Amino acid sequence: MTVVRVDADRGLALCEHDDGARETVETALVEPVAPGDRLLVHAGTALAQLEPAR
Amino acid sequence: MKFVDEFRDAELGRAVAMEIMSMVAPGRHYKLMEVCGGHTHSIYKYGIDDLLPANVELVHGPGCPVCVIPMGRVDDGIAIAHIDGVIFTCFGDMMRVPGSEGSLLDAKAAGADIRMVYSPLDALRIAKQNPDREVVFFAIGFETTAPSTALTLKRARAEGIPNFSVMCSHVTIVPPLRALLESPDLRLDGFIGPGHVSTVVGARPFQFIPTDYRKPVVIAGFEPLDILQAIEMILRQLVAGRCEVENQYKRVVPYEGNLRALEVMAEVFELRPHFEWRGLGFISHSGLKLSDAYADLDAEVRFSVPGVRVADPKACQCGEVLKGVIKPWECKVFGTACTPERPIGTCMVSSEGACAAYYNYGRFAREREVV
Repeated sequence: MTVVRVDADRGLALCEHDDGARETVETALVEPVAPGDRLLVHAGTALAQLEPAR
Repeated sequence: MKFVDEFRDAELGRAVAMEIMSMVAPGRHYKLMEVCGGHTHSIYKYGIDDLLPANVELVHGPGCPVCVIPMGRVDDGIAIAHIDGVIFTCFGDMMRVPGSEGSLLDAKAAGADIRMVYSPLDALRIAKQNPDREVVFFAIGFETTAPSTALTLKRARAEGIPNFSVMCSHVTIVPPLRALLESPDLRLDGFIGPGHVSTVVGARPFQFIPTDYRKPVVIAGFEPLDILQAIEMILRQLVAGRCEVENQYKRVVPYEGNLRALEVMAEVFELRPHFEWRGLGFISHSGLKLSDAYADLDAEVRFSVPGVRVADPKACQCGEVLKGVIKPWECKVFGTACTPERPIGTCMVSSEGACAAYYNYGRFAREREVV
């Protein structure tokens, strides 16, 4: 999923699936995140950041 | 699409398949287990087994979160759901898993307030919106899902939401793998390691497989090229007489895992002495419960649950399927009495279940012709 907007105070981010659907995601395990970052999300929690360089 | 298209390149896939074909010794049979239900789904969705030589066999492991939940646990959930004032929440797949007297979906039809959620955070939101109701989240899954439950419990504590609790049925991946390796039913040559579980736990927990059992493990992603390359890496180890843990999914899985996730899990959960797995029986230290610090948010403490052990239906052979001893189509009720529309066993419920993967992608027809 791609980060659209970040609520750093609450440890949440609005993220968008590739099909356009949006979801609020816990980001505590991968912070800091910024709009445009790609995240691996499972059950509403981001588990990893996908690094474009890899 | 970035991170997807490049791992679905058909030409590259054929090249890796040719490489595999050239590596295997004709007189030897290679039996590899994909641990994760997500891999099972991808293998049949993309027809990966059709690209493999006949003497490379893939068997399906116990890594489907819904498939391993025993009937008694479903009954416990239904008992809580029927308590006055309770809103019971769970993932969609879990709603269709049969208990001894029907599924959570049946209980919902009978009047219980059971709601499907996509995450524990959704369940917490329902609790905030319904302060006069008790909201229970049925937490299932391996180490991939457990951090999400742990973070939600911490959030419930921090925000002071008293009407939220969790029925914890999380399990861990290493104990069933050890049980399988100790099983006399099964001879395996190597493992395709679980990609997303490893995102959390890292590669280290799988080191016991080469160290104690002399079998290779390759942690793999979920796209067709990921899986083909992992098979090629396992075979390369076998041909060279090596056995070690290798990481094909480096773009997501760091060797040490996600340390923050491990930390939050250690704070919120502790190991149960025993946990029952569908078809596999009780396995020591394989299930998680809430730690003493979070016991006030434990639904099994807050409510009375029957906690009765219920035997699996006799017709269903999910246990043998989960252990990789039989193929789904070898089960007596596969595709006849047991279908995705009316499942008897859990492996037919979830899209990650081996039986559902075989059924949905038409594998049963081809396999039956062979018989």
